[in-house]
Amino acid sequence: MAENTSNTVTAVAMNSVNKWFDDFHVLKDINLNVADGEKVVICGPSGSGKSTLIRCICKLEDHQRGTINVLGTELNDDVSNIDEIRREVGMVFQQFNLFPHMTVMENCTLAQMLVRKKSRKEAETIAMGFLEKVRIPEQAGKYPGELSGGQQQRVAIARSLCMNPKILLFDEPTSALDPEMISEVLDVMVSLAEEGMTMICVTHEMGFARRVADRVIFMDQGEIVEENSPLEFFENPVNERTKLFLSQILQH
Amino acid sequence: MDLANIIQPPSTPSLLSRLRANLFGNVLDSVVSIVCGVLLVMLVYSVIDWAFVSSIWRAEDESLCKEAGGACWSVIDARHRIIFFGLFPYEEHWRSTLACVVMTATIVLSCFPWFWSALRLSALWLAGFGTFYILMHGGLFGLSVITPERWGGLALTIFIFAAVSIIGMPLSILLALGRRSKLPVIAKMVGLFIDFFRSLPLLTILFTAAVITPFVLPGWLQGDKLYRVIAGFAIFFACYQAENIRAGLQAIPAGQDEAGSTLGLSYWHRISRIQLPQAFRNSLPAIVNQFVITFKETSIVTIVGFFEILASGAAAYGTGKWTVHYIEVYVFIGLIYFMFVFSLSRYGAYLERKLRVGHG
Repeated sequence: MAENTSNTVTAVAMNSVNKWFDDFHVLKDINLNVADGEKVVICGPSGSGKSTLIRCICKLEDHQRGTINVLGTELNDDVSNIDEIRREVGMVFQQFNLFPHMTVMENCTLAQMLVRKKSRKEAETIAMGFLEKVRIPEQAGKYPGELSGGQQQRVAIARSLCMNPKILLFDEPTSALDPEMISEVLDVMVSLAEEGMTMICVTHEMGFARRVADRVIFMDQGEIVEENSPLEFFENPVNERTKLFLSQILQH
Repeated sequence: MDLANIIQPPSTPSLLSRLRANLFGNVLDSVVSIVCGVLLVMLVYSVIDWAFVSSIWRAEDESLCKEAGGACWSVIDARHRIIFFGLFPYEEHWRSTLACVVMTATIVLSCFPWFWSALRLSALWLAGFGTFYILMHGGLFGLSVITPERWGGLALTIFIFAAVSIIGMPLSILLALGRRSKLPVIAKMVGLFIDFFRSLPLLTILFTAAVITPFVLPGWLQGDKLYRVIAGFAIFFACYQAENIRAGLQAIPAGQDEAGSTLGLSYWHRISRIQLPQAFRNSLPAIVNQFVITFKETSIVTIVGFFEILASGAAAYGTGKWTVHYIEVYVFIGLIYFMFVFSLSRYGAYLERKLRVGHG
């Protein structure tokens, strides 16, 4: 985007993006620019298309109309483009998706060795560094099935970080966790944000949004309905649908 | 703390008291238990008596068999070479024995996790098959040539089983992946292929491979009848095994592949490092089962004129004074089958325990 090139680099630029699942119009004319180092939180009711939106950014879903640029590369059907993007964009899933047949360490070193062509020793040093960062270095030899949900999600974050991504996508990272484990994952995310990682998070953790987001986006029925700074978003929501949503999730 | 007041878990009843409760709980139970017990003891006694006590063991004592009334193992002593080697020339039996040992060792070695890389497995099987072939076929190192029509007995059974497995396994993986392909043309065609061969009886496939393909295929592609039969058998095996593997793949959550994609792993890396290891673990019992069935089904090749172990067994008791002793021959062959199949199932159980690691 022309206006962004002066001082900030655009990490993600989505331009009139449309997507259908068969006849269902799941993304409607999405325009979204995320600057390098920016933290964006996307919220909205289930089925609003927020997960689909971030899945489009790492090409887990194809879009049918419009353009998506990630770090200056357009996402199209060119396979080498996709590989290039996926090496730079990390994703953290709701269900962790750790590889159950590998130890925590192997989960973290597999892609480093196969994709980045690092030696095992080098990969393990890097992995250990990130496992320390998410505060579970002592679990390196265990299998995912032996860890709690919160620990698994922290391993998943470490696994993404091992690939040294420029952008991290989070798809409801705390929704599958028991309540007492949510904060340990959010703490890790907050410290990543403070280090300047570009982050796009689909989450309903409004405390997290207030604390770290530069921008909060509200989606409903496949559209971006409202987009504002966290303060304005929570204090003075404009749209009726936003007000309804906020009253529903904040009433307890 | 007052130790006496800590609540203890109820102690599990002893084996003896459980037996008493289950088998002799009331009069009727006791009567049934006693009757069954007596029958069981009588059965075990008569089997032991037949097999070991009243039995004759040496070939030259065959004349005593009728009088003794037990098993006449003389037939095995006299005719075991036919069972093991079929029509293989007598003076070359050592080659067949060695070949069996080599092939069995190859199978056993490839069961060790250390060999589980594409390179090591290929090297092992190339060496194993090469040695087996040179020993059996000859023509090298001064060994006389013995063509596959004269191979037989245990060596042939093991050879067919090993060859079908080693051709069929990679093929089954390709078929399973093909049927799950995102390209509808490939998925449909592979699906049709699998369903076509699965809907034919093995007998038909072997008969077609042995007898009909020579009319269809050009001469240079026909090869020996044995190899055509093995190829047909391997396709049949692969179609069933592909469905077992596909079931294992189907059970893996989509998120696994997505996680691999977002880490930048290529398709083949995702298949080989993430999908297949989990698929094998998911459907291991079915996969082992298919190997067990295949080992036993090798006996069907008799029908197209091969003397595998069951057919050479029939030849062993088929002449002169031995014709009455077919039970002993079949018991002996049954034990050989049991040894192989039982080892296979135990190995499957070991693998299941090993692969369950980290899954509570």
